Amino acid sequence: MQAVQILINALVLGSLYACIAIGFSLVWGVLNVINLIHGSFIVLGAYLAFGLYQSLHLSPWYAIVVAAPVFFVFGYIVQRLILNRVITAPVLVTLTLTFGLDLILNNAMIYVFTADYRRLTLIPPLGSVSFEGVVVPVDRLIATATALALTGLLYLLLRRSRVGRAIVAVRLDRDAAVLMGVHVPSIYAVAFGLGAALAGCAGVLMALIFPISPLTSSAYLGKAFVVCVLGGLGSVSGALAGGMLLALVESVGSAFFGPAHATTLSFLLLIIFLILRPQGLVGRKGFE
Amino acid sequence: MLHAWVARCVRLSIPLGIAALASGIQISAASADDVIKIGAPLPITGPLAPEAIKQQQGYNLWAEQANKAGGISVGGKKYKVEIVYTDYQSNTPRAVQATEQLITQNNVNFVFSPFGSGAAKAASTVSEKHKVPTLAATASSSQVYDQGYKYLFGTFTPNDTLTTPLTEMIKAKVPEVKKVAILARNDLFPLAIAQEMEKSAKANGLEVVYFEKYAIGTLDHSATLSSIKAQSPQWIFVTGYTNDLLLVRKQMIDQQMKAPVVSMIAGPAYQEFIDALGKGAENVSSAAWWHPAARYDGKDIFGSTANFVKLFKDKYNAEPDYAHASAALCGALFQIAIEKAGSIDRDKVRDELAKMDVVTFFGPVKFGANGQINSLDPPVFQIQGGKPVVLFPQAIKQGDLKIGLE
Repeated sequence: MQAVQILINALVLGSLYACIAIGFSLVWGVLNVINLIHGSFIVLGAYLAFGLYQSLHLSPWYAIVVAAPVFFVFGYIVQRLILNRVITAPVLVTLTLTFGLDLILNNAMIYVFTADYRRLTLIPPLGSVSFEGVVVPVDRLIATATALALTGLLYLLLRRSRVGRAIVAVRLDRDAAVLMGVHVPSIYAVAFGLGAALAGCAGVLMALIFPISPLTSSAYLGKAFVVCVLGGLGSVSGALAGGMLLALVESVGSAFFGPAHATTLSFLLLIIFLILRPQGLVGRKGFE
Repeated sequence: MLHAWVARCVRLSIPLGIAALASGIQISAASADDVIKIGAPLPITGPLAPEAIKQQQGYNLWAEQANKAGGISVGGKKYKVEIVYTDYQSNTPRAVQATEQLITQNNVNFVFSPFGSGAAKAASTVSEKHKVPTLAATASSSQVYDQGYKYLFGTFTPNDTLTTPLTEMIKAKVPEVKKVAILARNDLFPLAIAQEMEKSAKANGLEVVYFEKYAIGTLDHSATLSSIKAQSPQWIFVTGYTNDLLLVRKQMIDQQMKAPVVSMIAGPAYQEFIDALGKGAENVSSAAWWHPAARYDGKDIFGSTANFVKLFKDKYNAEPDYAHASAALCGALFQIAIEKAGSIDRDKVRDELAKMDVVTFFGPVKFGANGQINSLDPPVFQIQGGKPVVLFPQAIKQGDLKIGLE
């Protein structure tokens, strides 16, 4: 029964990891920008959920509806005003720029919210469901379902909508997309806005489960990075597969070798993938 | 004409400038004479920031009280107190640099150690090199004091003074406890406490069925908790800092984990642990170096424990915990040592600290040959009705151990 419990823990955690990583993967895949602000966006989303619950008693599932447009606009503006200026520069330049922006945002959060940890405690608590000795907390189940729904929505958006097809087209061949009448700077901004919106929504879900502090942003960013490498850039299913694989390695590794080695194992796996399968599990050229 | 006038002004300004500068030096030297500066390197930003703020509040409360009373009396003359803070951003190598800078550039008279055993040990090398008396408010691991240093003193008793009374109490009061699971943050202090716990459990005939470390920054403990659950221990003992323990306890509730006894060090003494967990904090047992329920009549500036608690509540509108109290105590101990020495000479103050034997609001203070305090019985307590209730020592006992969790 312990094995089933570990497997379920891994599935739940995997979908959360996928949710953390999917916006990061979208931005990296489409814009070729390794967005180091992603972790801080997630934490900011968690603060938004916390603030809305504390002040208006608005549950996190409603907070998602607020977070998505707010973060989209925020991301859109950041891309149009700042990142677009260096988007064609080598990847190191955009990396440095997003690193600097992250330092500013993260320190601003420490200044405004302090480094103290906060918790979003739902009243009444949601409790857990148990079956044959296997226990799953309801908040994690809700977060899992929402994470999967967000992933599905992004997939549909990219496949079915006009703007989604434009994003894929820009990713596949920027010059051809320009010739087809696609306004590339706008598409970049939309993709970055979508990435930010997904990070904000992931933050809302994280607030349901984990404590909130500006200091956790680096942990989320690290997970997003590993998931992207494992799953492969360029597809929604890549993020999902990478998230599941990482969670499985962490959960099983923790049970077998002790929790102290869970992180080591996941980074070992990362190195193996970088050497043997750098494109990841389901990496593709175009993002869809 | 204009040139001549400018040249005259410049010529005149040189001696005037030198005179002004000299008088400025005179003034600053005179004012520096009346101030005792204590350097305090703290992790004001970074992961340890919440702990640093506690220490800072304790130091500031002491400095405020000392200055309100006119300052520290040295041979009939009153010296004001100034604490010089530097932020080492939760990065131990920077704590060492910060300590060096405080001593050599800020010219502090004395030093408060950085937070925790690891950084205190690293920085003690610097203060020992410069022969600066140093008080560590939050270092308990004996490795910090076993370096043979003469200028380092600490106000936390060794780690086993927390785990031994706790184990003996659980063994006496809960005989069904046979199997213990220990989970520790892979960090100097939490790991040292966990190792002491393992030793005291084995010494008391308990079986340690699980002993594992978790990495710093771990957010998800669900797999670990499933492994612990499979061992069905009657006592679950977890170490870490407040955030880790909140996370573990919350995930224990999520997994419907129950055990007759759950102990956590070092979080339950902090009010934010109780506030964040609500009913989940009930019956979690712990031990700490000090508790506001202590009742001591001290010879220090704060006097009684009750007066310290009142002053703290008035200033910060919150209940003090052991970290606040230990920091304030360090200030009070420097004050006692300086006043007894009748001098701010570092060696004389160091000698007074070494032979210190005084009752304070924190309890009796006497340092062992290695500089670590050896005169205290740290309280064992349990969260009951949303409050920490002292179970041991007998002198300040407030209630009896309750078994099971909410």
